[in-house]
Amino acid sequence: MVKFNEHVKIGDRAMAAEGINNGMIKAAEKNDRIIAVLEDMGFPGVSWFKENAPERVIECGIAEANGAVVAAGLAAEGFVPFIHSFAFAAVSRACNQIRQSILQDRFNVKILGREGAWGEPGISHNHIEIIGITRVMPNMVIVDPADIVEAEKAMVAIADYIGPVFVKIEASPPPLRIFTEDYPFDLGRAYTVKDGRDATIIATGYMLTEAILAAEILEKEGIDVRIINMSTLKPLDNEVVIRAAEETGAIVTAENASIIGGLGEAVATVLAENIPAPLIRVGIEDEFSQSGRITPEKDELRDHFGLGAEDVALSVKECIAKRERLKGRK
Amino acid sequence: MAHDEKLIQELKEKADIVRRNIFTIFDASQMGHPGGTMSLVEIVTALYFHHLKFDPKNCDWPERDRVVLSKAHSCEAIYAVLVEMGVLPKETLKTYYRYGSPLQGHADRWCTPGIDYSGGSLGQGLSFAIGMALAEKLKVLRQPPMENVAAAMPRFIQRYNPLYRTYSIVGDGECHEGQIWEAAMFATKYKLDNLINIVDYNKFSLDGPTNEVMLLEPFVEKWKSFGWYVVEVDGHDLRQLVDVFDLVCNLYGDGRPKCIIAHTVKGHGVPYWEAAHTHIGRGEDINRGVQEGRAKYGEV
Repeated sequence: MVKFNEHVKIGDRAMAAEGINNGMIKAAEKNDRIIAVLEDMGFPGVSWFKENAPERVIECGIAEANGAVVAAGLAAEGFVPFIHSFAFAAVSRACNQIRQSILQDRFNVKILGREGAWGEPGISHNHIEIIGITRVMPNMVIVDPADIVEAEKAMVAIADYIGPVFVKIEASPPPLRIFTEDYPFDLGRAYTVKDGRDATIIATGYMLTEAILAAEILEKEGIDVRIINMSTLKPLDNEVVIRAAEETGAIVTAENASIIGGLGEAVATVLAENIPAPLIRVGIEDEFSQSGRITPEKDELRDHFGLGAEDVALSVKECIAKRERLKGRK
Repeated sequence: MAHDEKLIQELKEKADIVRRNIFTIFDASQMGHPGGTMSLVEIVTALYFHHLKFDPKNCDWPERDRVVLSKAHSCEAIYAVLVEMGVLPKETLKTYYRYGSPLQGHADRWCTPGIDYSGGSLGQGLSFAIGMALAEKLKVLRQPPMENVAAAMPRFIQRYNPLYRTYSIVGDGECHEGQIWEAAMFATKYKLDNLINIVDYNKFSLDGPTNEVMLLEPFVEKWKSFGWYVVEVDGHDLRQLVDVFDLVCNLYGDGRPKCIIAHTVKGHGVPYWEAAHTHIGRGEDINRGVQEGRAKYGEV
């Protein structure tokens, strides 16, 4: 039986997007300056807004460039606009608008981007490059919540934070319920879900689920792996990465996004600059996604990309072997 | 009510001062965007020295009128105005484009007091102005009537004045951007009658005549068909400008965003820049224009 840290209790699978909905409503109830900026893609908790504060619903239609800058103008006047659409539309379609009109002046605009991972809609919609795209943007904070509980808490936290934030929302597949209701989400801080001595898996978003399943596999083989939930991708919690390298000496990163510009690269930089350690990046290679069936039992795309728990477990073993080889070389 | 001749004369003098300040900027920086800057001189003069609710001693006044310079490369014109109003010291004119200067190459909200929008990449300012105008509507909606800024005024005045107005200044070239028309649709939908968009229609963009680069005409009809109240003026005629600003403000309450198409001349007032349609200039282009301009309008 795998032993987890405080505030972790593994439950059934539940959509993280539902946590986003709940968190959005909580945040909007608390702060009446929050404005829902729609881009014809619905909005988390939209029925709450329509019922309780219809004037706080701004519908821009399929015009994301305009939507991003209108949000910036609202933020300049003290409102807290939340933009919601597909990540490829809300962010990539409006990259230059976000750069100049939101980030340059560090306006308090939050962007919720759906489908930043693999999913059924396929190549156009599954924007696996999104972490890399947003990471290079100055002033941008990036959050990729791991489960329904963290998603809710993250929404409240980013609403309190003053500045631009991008939240990656995954529509599919549903992650495990990982955290307990008293889990203290701290923006910019990683959370160690499980302690371990032999190696460390640093996971973000949905991949925390696969990391936890991988830990179960590894436990049976007598490998005690540490699991870190890196839900804030920027700014990265460097300290926890360095400590993991010091104490376990083998790091595997897990993200359901392109490994170029993603979590793996961010961690690689921290390691290379502070404490070089063997690293394996589990993620999507330099390629586009495609359509595929996704159910909790069978996930064709997860298998295609090699992002399942078995793949993560294999990478951990490889990474440990790498560490031992390097030791031998000394 | 017609404005008396004295006001127009005063504004003309101010416009000349603004031009002289612009020459100082160009002379020191040896580069800049003279064409689009000179075409804006009368428009910003009429706005800042007569029309706007703007307090140079308190640039962040929450109820000030907002000015979003979407064509942020023409910031030299606004800088020249802000210096004349005492927002910035005179010496800053010579620091344009320099490291650490409050006068950035393109207008920047955080570097320069009195600037509401950081621009540079074109086609976005109108959307930003819309955000600000929309915010005004939301703010007023939330204010109990007696706490309104105009609480001390008779109620009929309150009804005819927003908390603040938002002015955006866009170039004709940037109207080639699709986002301008996304914004145009949006402003009509949200009935932003507190928004006034001024198009500096100087007929030239960088590659050549604006309408040859990409056909804008029928320009007025385009704005009209998007549901805007459209009015055309000579953008170098101060009397027409002050009158048109009054007109569009008096129409507040009609639920329509306003578009002033100001017909202007690129590089206006300096024959060399006018003839060359200079968009961006360096070295000799600048020096020759500054010399001609100073001969015509005098030195600071």
